[in-house]
Amino acid sequence: MTTAPFFTYSRTALHRLFDWKVRGVRWIEIIGVALVAVMIVSVYAAKAAAARESSRIAQLEQDIRENGQRVRLLRAEVARLEQPARLESLSRQIGLAPVEVHRQAKEDQLPALKAAPAPAPATPAVAQAAPAEVAAAAPEAVQ
Amino acid sequence: MSVQDHRYHRPAPGVDLQGRLSPFWRGLSELVWRLEHGFERARADGRPEEDTRVRIFLILIVFSCVFAGLAIGASYKALFGEAGGRWAGANPDALVRGDLTDRNGELLATNIVHYGLYLDPAEIWDRDLAFRQLRRALPRLQAARLRRVLDGDRRLIVLTGLTPQEKAAVHDLALGGVTFEPEDRRAYPLGTSAVHLIGDADTGGQGVSGAELAFNDEIRAAGQRGESFPLSIDLRVQGVLENELAAAAVKNQAKGAVGIVTDVQTGEVLGMASWPNFSQSNRGAAPDGATLNRAVSGHYEMGSVFKTFTVAAGLDTGRADMNTLFDASQAFQIGDRKIKDFHAQNRVMTLEEVYLHSSNIGTSQLAVQMGPDTMRDYFRRLGLLDAAGIELKESARPVVPRRWDSSTLASLSFGYGIMITPAQMVQAMGALTNGGRMVPLSLRRGGARGAQPHQIVTEETSRAILELMRSNVVKGSGGFADAPGLRVGGKTGSANKLVNGRYDPSRALGSFAAVFPVDGPLEAKRYAVFILMDEPGTYPKTGAYVAAPAVRNVADRIAGFLGVERRADRWRTATGEKIPEYQDVQGDGL
Repeated sequence: MTTAPFFTYSRTALHRLFDWKVRGVRWIEIIGVALVAVMIVSVYAAKAAAARESSRIAQLEQDIRENGQRVRLLRAEVARLEQPARLESLSRQIGLAPVEVHRQAKEDQLPALKAAPAPAPATPAVAQAAPAEVAAAAPEAVQ
Repeated sequence: MSVQDHRYHRPAPGVDLQGRLSPFWRGLSELVWRLEHGFERARADGRPEEDTRVRIFLILIVFSCVFAGLAIGASYKALFGEAGGRWAGANPDALVRGDLTDRNGELLATNIVHYGLYLDPAEIWDRDLAFRQLRRALPRLQAARLRRVLDGDRRLIVLTGLTPQEKAAVHDLALGGVTFEPEDRRAYPLGTSAVHLIGDADTGGQGVSGAELAFNDEIRAAGQRGESFPLSIDLRVQGVLENELAAAAVKNQAKGAVGIVTDVQTGEVLGMASWPNFSQSNRGAAPDGATLNRAVSGHYEMGSVFKTFTVAAGLDTGRADMNTLFDASQAFQIGDRKIKDFHAQNRVMTLEEVYLHSSNIGTSQLAVQMGPDTMRDYFRRLGLLDAAGIELKESARPVVPRRWDSSTLASLSFGYGIMITPAQMVQAMGALTNGGRMVPLSLRRGGARGAQPHQIVTEETSRAILELMRSNVVKGSGGFADAPGLRVGGKTGSANKLVNGRYDPSRALGSFAAVFPVDGPLEAKRYAVFILMDEPGTYPKTGAYVAAPAVRNVADRIAGFLGVERRADRWRTATGEKIPEYQDVQGDGL
């Protein structure tokens, strides 16, 4: 058997390990006890930290829930204040009305409505273009 | 080994394991006995040191297995178990019912925590003072109820549904013996807006009416996921529709009014209003009949709007084209019934003129020519014989004629003899103006789920109807509906109501069914607007005067929201001015 010397060696090594003592106590046991103690302390520390974290998470979740409810409440309040009928009556009260069609224009019509501020102060008349002319000048109105 | 060692086969005292466990027990004791015997044999073989070591080794193996199992189990629990168990399961945003929003996320209905107010009289120092203070803080608190609780001897509920403000007001009194318990309540912050459409839910979180009922399961499922449920409504469109409808109804002194705006391509309802309305929070104070959603539950004989359907059927069957002539020079006689025109022209008219002048004689002739089977087929295709395909449970079935004789056909051709809901009207109008596809109406954003639009009339018919509706606005009875630059097409409807078996001209119905813009390809964005005035009190009562102006206002104001640009067409400039007729003659045939 080729493995026999290895077994004898490991067996003697094991014997030596278990025979290695101080004041009649095996070192291997002392080391074991020390490791167990370290493990107990670290598990305790980890558990305590986890408990702290989880209570913090619970706290944050509670905050989220409360804030969520506040947000819902505020959204509902916004929706209440923005009721179409309410907005309409408020705007009518202060004299607002839908914009009349001749007073509406698109961005590309802006130059025609009021010329870009030119350096030469000679074209105030262009700015007074009548709305009907503006509409006629719109490209899609030509057809 | 079959030898039974009675030392190991000994049941626990007092527990009868003999019955069920005996085979197992026997097997175990045999195993132990065999092991023991093995050790004895080893000792007998002269290897006394082996047996203790084998025992220690065996025990070591057993303990190692047990501890390894425990360690694996513990680490598995620590690493995975808790994460799945405590945190991921509960969604902090979960609600009984999800928020209901419009298509752009504007809030329509939400769940708000309300509070129940509880009083424990044993902890209250001065009951009279508490009574006065509570009454001042909560005016809606019933005095009798409060007094009864205060004079009682145990903790009782005084009032439910305190809003957070009310709770704060009571809390600030710093009274002893006052406690609050949260309760989830459905809140409708919009008040009277879209009230019929949204409907309501009971305190148990179940939908009772409107969209809350129609989409009950989905709203609840959305709530569990912490999401909101969007409807197809556009709150801006809804607001304009309601405001204009209410203004028109008040101006015309109408008994009731209905307004619907839909997207004809998808069937989505963008706005649906029924007047008079009410507030969900104050349902008890609703005027008589206000809680009825007339848009889907009201039955009306619609009148001339139906001529669109008759003409469409005539065009689609090939029975008529635009230039087919109808003799409207005298009343059309069916049996002893004479059908006359409201705006009598007393001449021969083309189909287009029949439509533009809203000739009862012309459409009656057309309907009678087509016959009952064809008419019934087209009415069925247009969904006029079934409830509208909208999700609302309130959607009512029409009242349809039992006999389809010539006289009935004539009546049907101009919208009498059949009572349909406004939703059916809009659905049929949509199908005629979107290229001929019947798309069910839907309150779901994106249209009805799983709906398969089917072709009910040809695209040519659809195009012709769009042309006719536009002509009717620029040349016919619908002039008041022409919103500048929006290419509105439509048909007026005016009918007298049947009162005690007679059509009473003092009780009329005016409506206007419009689509805009009518130009562009058939599948282009197009919107239907339908306004109905029930029993207007002013004169004239016809749809052209009572409903068409409201359609114009609505179209004018919602075009911007819907992205419809003002543009000129053959008849009008982008700002609504008339383009003189001669341009058409001299031009290139536009």
